[in-house]
Amino acid sequence: MINLKDYEQFIGKETLIELEIIAKQLKNIRVLHVNSTNKGGGVAEILSRLIPLMNSLGIKTDWKIFKGSYNFFKFTKKLHNLLHLPSDEDIESEEINLYLRTTYENLNEINTEDYDIVFIHDPQPLALIVKKQENQKWIWRCHIDTSTPSPKAWNLIELFINSYDAAIFHMPEFIYKGIKIPTYIIPPSIDPLHPKNISLEEDFIFQTLNKFSVDPEKPILLQVSRFDRLKDPIGVYNAYKLIRKKYDCQLILVGSFAADDPEGEEVYKEVLNQTAEDKNVFILNLPPDSHLEINAFQRAATVVFQKSIREGFGLVVSEAMFKLKPVIGGNTGGIKRQIIDGINGYLVNTYQGAAFRARQLLADKELRLKMGQNAYNIVKHRFLITRHLKDYLTLIYEIIKNKN
Amino acid sequence: MKTVFKFKTEFWIPTYTKISATTIYDFRIGLKIIPPNSLLYHFYINIFNYHSVPSIYTNSFAYWFYKNGYYQIGEEISSIDPTDYFDIEKLRQDLIDIISRYQEQDTKTLSEPFLFLSIQRNIFHTNLKATNLEELIDGIKKSSINSIFYHLITSKVDNKKAINDYSEFLNLIGQYNKAELINKIDVYALNLYEIKELILEVLTK
Repeated sequence: MINLKDYEQFIGKETLIELEIIAKQLKNIRVLHVNSTNKGGGVAEILSRLIPLMNSLGIKTDWKIFKGSYNFFKFTKKLHNLLHLPSDEDIESEEINLYLRTTYENLNEINTEDYDIVFIHDPQPLALIVKKQENQKWIWRCHIDTSTPSPKAWNLIELFINSYDAAIFHMPEFIYKGIKIPTYIIPPSIDPLHPKNISLEEDFIFQTLNKFSVDPEKPILLQVSRFDRLKDPIGVYNAYKLIRKKYDCQLILVGSFAADDPEGEEVYKEVLNQTAEDKNVFILNLPPDSHLEINAFQRAATVVFQKSIREGFGLVVSEAMFKLKPVIGGNTGGIKRQIIDGINGYLVNTYQGAAFRARQLLADKELRLKMGQNAYNIVKHRFLITRHLKDYLTLIYEIIKNKN
Repeated sequence: MKTVFKFKTEFWIPTYTKISATTIYDFRIGLKIIPPNSLLYHFYINIFNYHSVPSIYTNSFAYWFYKNGYYQIGEEISSIDPTDYFDIEKLRQDLIDIISRYQEQDTKTLSEPFLFLSIQRNIFHTNLKATNLEELIDGIKKSSINSIFYHLITSKVDNKKAINDYSEFLNLIGQYNKAELINKIDVYALNLYEIKELILEVLTK
C-alpha cells in the first residue's frame, strides 16, 4: 500500500502539506488515465505509483487499459519508431484500418464519460479522443521524442492530437513544431520507494557482488541499459580498455533482453564475444524484475556510465544519481537535463571522452563524493515522483481553472 | 490594527511558447514578443531549480550564448541579477539592449536552437499567519521552498516592489536590521534549502 506519508523522509512535511493544499482544490474532480499496459515499461511503472498517490490525496483517479491484438501492438511499435526517428517506411492502409478498428473496439470497453479530466498516454489509445465530451478536458501525455518524426506518422497522429485540450512532453526538445495545442513540460521521475531505489543493507550489496564473482575491493565501472546499439555498450567497453591502462578496475554491463528482441540478443552476444577474454568484465543479462540486484550494482559502483548515442529521457541516470553516484553520460536527450556537466557528472561525446572523465573521477575521491552529493541533491529536488505528482496536480488545477 | 503576514506558496508548470531562435536576430525578436512569464521562467526559475545550468551561468539565456560560443554575451547576461528587478519589462529592455550590441553577429545560424518556455503560475494561501517575529520564525520553519521562493523572489515581481515580503514585514514590526540582512541574501550563492536555513539563522540571532 503506497502511503504519501512515507515520502516525508525525502521531501519534508512542509511539501506534503502543500500537496494537500492543492489537492483540496481538486476534491470533486474525477481523473482517468488510459494507457496500453499495466505491466512493464516506464509508463506503467509511473502510473502504478502516481495513481494511488493521487487517490491518497482524495482525488478520485482511475486507470484503464487500452487493449489490442499482437498485430495492433506491432503496428504501434512501428508508429512509435516512426515518430521517434525519420524514415521512408510507409504506413499501409490496413495498418490504419487496424488502428481505427482497435480504437473502435475499445470505445465500448473504456468508460471515459464519468471523468472530468482524461489523460491518454502515448499513441496507442490516442484516437479515443472521439469520445471526448464538451464538459471534459482531455490531455495527451507523450512519452516519446517526437521532434523529428517521419511525416507519415505525424500526419496520422496529428488527426487526433489537435483535438486534445493540451499535450505534455518530457522536455521541450521532444515537441514537434507542427503541434497546435498548448504544450506543457513535465519531466518523468523515479520513485525512491521502488525496489530499484530503496536503501539496501551492505550485506546484500556484498552478496550480490559475490554472486556474480565481482570483486568488492576493486573499483567498479557500471552501465545499466538494454543491450541496444544506441546505448553504445561497445563504446563503454572501449572506454574501459583505456581506463584499465591506469586503473585496475572492473566493468559491469547489466541489462536484459526479451525473448522477442532479436536485436537485443545479437548485441548481447556481440558484447559477450568482444569481452570474453577479460575476467574483469561482467556482461549480465538479468531477468527484467532484478530490481534489487541492479540497485546493489548501482550502490557498489565507483563510476556509472550512460553513454547513449541517442536517448529518450534516460531515467536510469537519475536512479544512479539518487545513489550518490556521479554519472558520465552521452550528450543527448534527457541525459542533458539530468547531468550538469562538471557539477554532478560529465557529458561526453566519445568513448575517449568517457575514459578521460572516468579517470578523473577514479583519481579523485573528493571529486566523486562532491559530484555524487550534487547528483543526489538534484534528483531529490527535481526528479522524484512527488515532484511529478505536484506537476500533475498543478496542471489539472490550471486546466480546470481555465475551464471555469 | 495588527500587521499580519499571510504565508503563501506558489506552484507553476512550464509550457512551451512555440517560439524558438536559431540566430541572435531570432533571439532578439523572440525576447520582444515572449510573455513576461517566459522571462520569469528563464531568469528566475533557475534560482529555484538550482544547478539547472552550470553555476557560472546564472540563467538559461546566458548558457545558450555560451554553448554557441558567444562567451562575451553569455557573461554579460549572466551578470544580470534578476532579484535587482521588480519590473520584468525593465529586465526585458536591458536584455534587448545587451543583445543589440552584438547585431553584426545576428544572422549566423547557431548549432543549438533556443526554445522559449514560459510558466503558468498559481499562488495559494497556506493556513499560516504571523503577527510577530516568533510567529514569523515558526511559519518559515513550516514553509516549503516554494513558499520561500515566492516571498523572497517572485512576490517582488508580482507586486512591483523593491523589497521581499519577509523584509517588508520585519520593517513593519520594527526589526530593521533583520529586514536588511534578509534583503541582502545573495540567492545565487546558496540554494533555497540553504537560504531557508540562513533566514532562520538571521531571525533567531
